[in-house]
Amino acid sequence: MIGILEVLTPSIVLIVFSILTVPVVNQIRKHGSPRRFMSLAWFLAPFFVSAIGIFRLCSDYYAQAERQPFLQVFFVGGEPDSFSSSFLVDSISTYMAIVYLFVGLASCIYAVLQVKVESELPERFFALLFIVLGSTTAATFSGDLLTLFIFWEASAAGSCFLIIYGKRPEAIEACLKYLIMIIIASGFIVYGLSLIYGLVGSLNFWTVREALVSLEDKRLLVVAFVFVACGYAIETAVVPFHMWLPDAYSAALPSSAAFLSSIVDQASYYVFMRVLVYILTPPKILDWTFALATFSALTMSVGNLFALAQSNVKRMICYVCVADIGYNLIAITSVKPLGLMGNLFFFFVGGMTTALAFMTVGILNDMGLETLEDFSGIGRKYPATSLALVVAVLSFSGIPPLAGFMAKYMVFTAAIEANMAWLALVGVLNSVLQSAYLIRLVHYMYSKPPSPGIRGKENRGALLPVYALVASIIVLGIYPSLALKIIYPAAKQLELLIP
Amino acid sequence: MTEVLLFSMILPIFSIPAIYLVGRRSSRKAAEIILSFTILDLLLLSSTLPEVLSRGKYSEAYYWVPMLGSPLTLFIDGISFSIATMTLILIASSITFSIKYMEEGRSLTEYYALLALLTVGLVGVFITSNLMIFYFCWEFMLIPTYFIIGGWGYRESYRAAFKFFIFTHAGAVAVLLGIGAIYMVTGNLDMFQVKDLLATAPQELLKWIFVAFTLGFAVKMAIVPFHMWLPDAHAEAPAPMSALLSGVIIEAGAYAIFRISLGVVLPSIASTLTTSQLLHALSILGVISAFYGALTALAENDIKRIVAYSSISHMGYVLFGLSLFPCTEGMIGVILHLVNHAASKGLLFLNAGAVMKKTGVRDIDKMGGLASKMPLMAVSTAISSFSIAGIPAFACFISEFIMFMGGFQNGSTDNFYYATTAFMIVATVFSLAYILRFYWKSFLGASKIEKVEKVPLLMEVPMVILSTIIIILGVWPGPLIELISSALKV
Repeated sequence: MIGILEVLTPSIVLIVFSILTVPVVNQIRKHGSPRRFMSLAWFLAPFFVSAIGIFRLCSDYYAQAERQPFLQVFFVGGEPDSFSSSFLVDSISTYMAIVYLFVGLASCIYAVLQVKVESELPERFFALLFIVLGSTTAATFSGDLLTLFIFWEASAAGSCFLIIYGKRPEAIEACLKYLIMIIIASGFIVYGLSLIYGLVGSLNFWTVREALVSLEDKRLLVVAFVFVACGYAIETAVVPFHMWLPDAYSAALPSSAAFLSSIVDQASYYVFMRVLVYILTPPKILDWTFALATFSALTMSVGNLFALAQSNVKRMICYVCVADIGYNLIAITSVKPLGLMGNLFFFFVGGMTTALAFMTVGILNDMGLETLEDFSGIGRKYPATSLALVVAVLSFSGIPPLAGFMAKYMVFTAAIEANMAWLALVGVLNSVLQSAYLIRLVHYMYSKPPSPGIRGKENRGALLPVYALVASIIVLGIYPSLALKIIYPAAKQLELLIP
Repeated sequence: MTEVLLFSMILPIFSIPAIYLVGRRSSRKAAEIILSFTILDLLLLSSTLPEVLSRGKYSEAYYWVPMLGSPLTLFIDGISFSIATMTLILIASSITFSIKYMEEGRSLTEYYALLALLTVGLVGVFITSNLMIFYFCWEFMLIPTYFIIGGWGYRESYRAAFKFFIFTHAGAVAVLLGIGAIYMVTGNLDMFQVKDLLATAPQELLKWIFVAFTLGFAVKMAIVPFHMWLPDAHAEAPAPMSALLSGVIIEAGAYAIFRISLGVVLPSIASTLTTSQLLHALSILGVISAFYGALTALAENDIKRIVAYSSISHMGYVLFGLSLFPCTEGMIGVILHLVNHAASKGLLFLNAGAVMKKTGVRDIDKMGGLASKMPLMAVSTAISSFSIAGIPAFACFISEFIMFMGGFQNGSTDNFYYATTAFMIVATVFSLAYILRFYWKSFLGASKIEKVEKVPLLMEVPMVILSTIIIILGVWPGPLIELISSALKV
């Protein structure tokens, strides 16, 4: 039997480490002799401890997954009360936890190597990073809408501080924008949740779902759906609510941007998917697929068109993130096992690729290279960093044998399978557009002569996590079964919900 | 050995570390390494010949991504064998040619490493029957080519490479849609199994799958409305790469139309009206391309662009031949033409590159009388260009002749083909015209260039080999035709 403590171990570990980080690192700074090494050890420790926790959880869960594919764990044992917090362990939540941990580890190592240890008080940064990771993981495991909301807002609040970290003026403005957006979003969500509670009398995922299946009059449910979906759409940055994302990520430090885009972004897709596919399952409960398909097409197109117009590389990557949201929505819209498989694979790959892109662009930004023009000729000047960026870019444009291709393939095929060939067509056209502007970046990097102002050496230390990600993208592209083996049970479980 | 095909597909990858290790000191050594790997690959592939001859087909299957329908299946039959072997010969020739041709300028280590990567794609495309692996290899042809054209080409090479990339990637994405649709209908990705499963698919969808595939492949083939990328890419690429582009990459498009559009999708379309409409469309596009390429080549003065436009014209022939489906003569003609055209056009590009390199001139108006200064070059250029022009006793004549025979045969049931075949025969006259003009202006007539460097032996060796192949295929095509028709019967 899986207890509540077991489910929450990873989050608790991360949050405890987060609280202890500031005093411990201060002590290390005062007394420790190989300071960098010791603080690195401290920053990596929570990942290993929570990895053990997740491993144990997974093995316990899969030992009994046959009997209870959707395992609910309650705070106070016994029956679901209307307000009792509960947690849900299934293939998707365990998979997502593994993804967060892996990508989070990579961005944490990068942050250690990239943020100047002495000057910028990094311990606060890492404390924030841990707390965001911890609450995101808890949100992933939550089993009722309220718990989900609480942990999700906690991680959003932490993200604000990550964006503002470094105190650049544009970061403060961007953070304000983000803050206002998520406050509006949480207002929407709370309102929608109150309607659902009024309709059903509970917020527990399964109770809500079962009650909604037999609901006759769906008018109020539509209102609730609009509020909840809009709320989460704002946090996911679905067009037309995407304005905060490019500002926030381009103003944030590269390590925050890598972390946010890979963890918080993917987590927000997950939340979106959990609420729409698992609770408001179409067509039994509410048929929202066409509405979402429209938004998906809009998001892809707007993201790619804006990316095309950018001259700042980091902002361009930000708009690629927006376009990626559109691709993910295609998969959610299809509500098919294949789409879900593509979706979950996309979470992982998209997280890794955006993290990789932000990391490499961050290394180059540190040398004062910002715009496409600045990137001229760096292919020869900084070969190692450029190669990693090229891998990220090619994976974004979906070129085999990189992992991005597999993800896009599954997503588009799912759209065709769900009788939405037009959406697949829009996606494919977008994909062409995307590869056009991304190859333009490669074009600048390799074809033009380097501008004379470029000085400084590659930060080779920071390339360690970068190349770990490059290797994973290539390996997953050639042999996707590594991840699909974990994802496949989740796709099978979806068939339990959709007869 | 049971893993022959898998090894012959991925073998070139193993040469990359060695290329990097050795290439730091001498790029010549790197070239030798990749050359020996290519020859080894050729031997490995040839070792399947007895099996192919006795059973008609040899295949392998490996565990890959079970959730996506099909194991990793590789196969080789007479058709794949002849094209893949020709590909490897052409790659080996290009590498040998590169040793002296590319010796100045940028470091060549990356060039050879990219060439090794390219080989994986080029061989893989012809020997896999899993559509997903096919797509992998299809795109694998693209990335190394982009960097080779861009990094080692002439003039605004990255611009040309960019154009090439966008066009062919857009085409590839259409192919991907087709693959996705096939997977959706059948739940399988193996060409041969899909072929039987598609019969129950909705007819309207099948038509669109056919269109998506053919569109995507036609972009790679540079059939006329989608040809814009080809002249630039071929003309600005370094000569060995142009040889591979024209000799293999665009032909992969033709092979794919033959194998997938016609071989897998079309037989399942029940309505004969739709089938013949689609085939007529291909036929018309073929005629247009053949004329467009020939006429533009007649107007061009740049030596490499002439050869490039001639490729468009020849892909027109091939598309015309493909439209004769399911006529056996037509199909034999197409596959034979792919092999012959690979040898002839590959050699012609190498010749053009050698002329440019040793005279420093691209404009054929400023050449003239080169025959006396580089006699061996004159002979090998004559062989390759006469083959391209379709003169008897040289390779391409045979295959064009067989295709036209197929055209007349089809015409007896569908008069439309009399018309297109007649047009194609007229097009050969233009082919002859541009070839004679090109050869006259560059090699014959009064000499206009004072200083011509000697062509080194290492550049001449591949020319001699390819010339020999062209002559052999021209006078004794029997065994190859037998090999190809044995695969068509199965």
